[in-house]
Formats: sequence, structure tokens, C-alpha cells
Amino acid sequence: MIETKSSPKPNEGMWLWLIKMVSGLLIILFLLIHFIINHMTGSAGGGQLSFREILQMYTSPAYILLEALFLVTVISHGLIGLRAVILDLNPARKVMKVIDPVLLILGIGSVIYGIWLLYAVASLAA
Amino acid sequence: MSVDTNKPTSSNWWKWFDFRARDVGTWAFILNRLSALGLVLYLFLHLIALGQLVQGPQAWENFLNFAKNPIIMIGELLVIIGGIYHGLNGIRIGFATFGRSTPQQKQAFYAVIVVTIIASAVFAYRLFT
Repeated sequence: MIETKSSPKPNEGMWLWLIKMVSGLLIILFLLIHFIINHMTGSAGGGQLSFREILQMYTSPAYILLEALFLVTVISHGLIGLRAVILDLNPARKVMKVIDPVLLILGIGSVIYGIWLLYAVASLAA
Repeated sequence: MSVDTNKPTSSNWWKWFDFRARDVGTWAFILNRLSALGLVLYLFLHLIALGQLVQGPQAWENFLNFAKNPIIMIGELLVIIGGIYHGLNGIRIGFATFGRSTPQQKQAFYAVIVVTIIASAVFAYRLFT
């Protein structure tokens, strides 16, 4: 029987679990705003913004802040969740000693890349 | 219910895919996992694709044309279905975890499925027409 309630997995730790819960809730909010702005107002077809429309968005600091928060929460939630999936396979401790730094580097690298991308596109828009 | 003997370990990880003797809650869990893995894959593809923006308007235009490929659009629909399900199921689990729960968890799960199907149908209509 799988529990309906969510709880920290063995080796997950209270903090990672709590971040996963809180970020999950925030993502619902950020995703709704992101989706409405980015995929329901565009003129490029298939729910896409044209290049000009994207640059227009990036003139708004509030939009850039929202995208940055969305980036951090979704990467945290995704990678902590991926780690939980791996933990359910009961990996050996030494396996996790490899996987943990890989996920951490992937997460930090993705956030740096995403922030750089936000900055680069915002520079084009300026 | 034979989950205890059926519990996946690193040596019999394939048990994860054994769909016999699953109850409703386990299906909710399986769908949550599948959607989670799909969404993580999509997240990184999405971030990589957005890198086209710094290549300028022509590169973005090319990407948009590429994304009109029906296979990509079916992939996008799967992302939408997975996202809606994962979000709604997450809300259900959140309520159960933090104390505002209903004992009717099966019914709550069926409600999640019904809303996911309806919302996905609306998105599919918008995407393909």
C-alpha cells in the first residue's frame, strides 16, 4: 500500500522533502502565470510567442523575476523528485555518493545557464 | 495486495513495472512517477530549446517552424497532460499531507483524472485547431 500522505523518504531528509512540497505549490502558481503569458498570448501559432513579442516581455523586470523564480523552483522540485525516484530503488550508499553530486552540479549548472539566458535575452531587449 | 514482496530493489528494479495487483492509490503513484520523469525530461529540453533565443530572430523562427512538426506537438500535448495530472495529484497529496484531507481518497483521485481529461481535451483542441 502506498501512503496517500507524502513524507520524507529514508535518506531524503526533512529539508529536501519540505523544499519539494513548498516548491511544488509555488510551481502551480508560477506555471499558471508563465503559461498564460508565454503560451496563450502569442501570435506565432501553436501557442508560441514571436521573437519580437518575447523581447517585449523581457522589458518587464517583474516578468524576468517571475521567470527566475520559476526556474529555481522547477529545477529544485524536478531534481529532488528525481532523487526520490532513485531512492525508491534502494540504491547502495556509494551509488548515492555519485548521484548526489551529479544532481547538485546539474541543478546549479541549470540555474546558472537559465539566469545567463534571462540576462542575455534581457540584454537583447534593452 | 503483494506490494511488500513486490517492492523494487536495485537487484529487481523491473518489479517497478509489474502492473499486477496494484490498487487505485498505486496507480495514482505510478502516474505521478511517469509524469514526473516526463516533465523533468521536458524541463531540460525546454531550457535547451530556449537557448535558440540568443542566436537571434532567424534561429527562433526556425525553431518555431521545427516545433510545428506533429510529433513535437504530440509531445507537447503529453507534457500538458502530464503537467495537469502531476499538479492536480500534487494538490490532492498536499491536502492529505497537511491535514485538510477527505477519507474519500479514491474519489479524490477519480476527480483528478476527470479534470485532467477535460482540461487536456481543451488544450488538445486549442493546440491542433
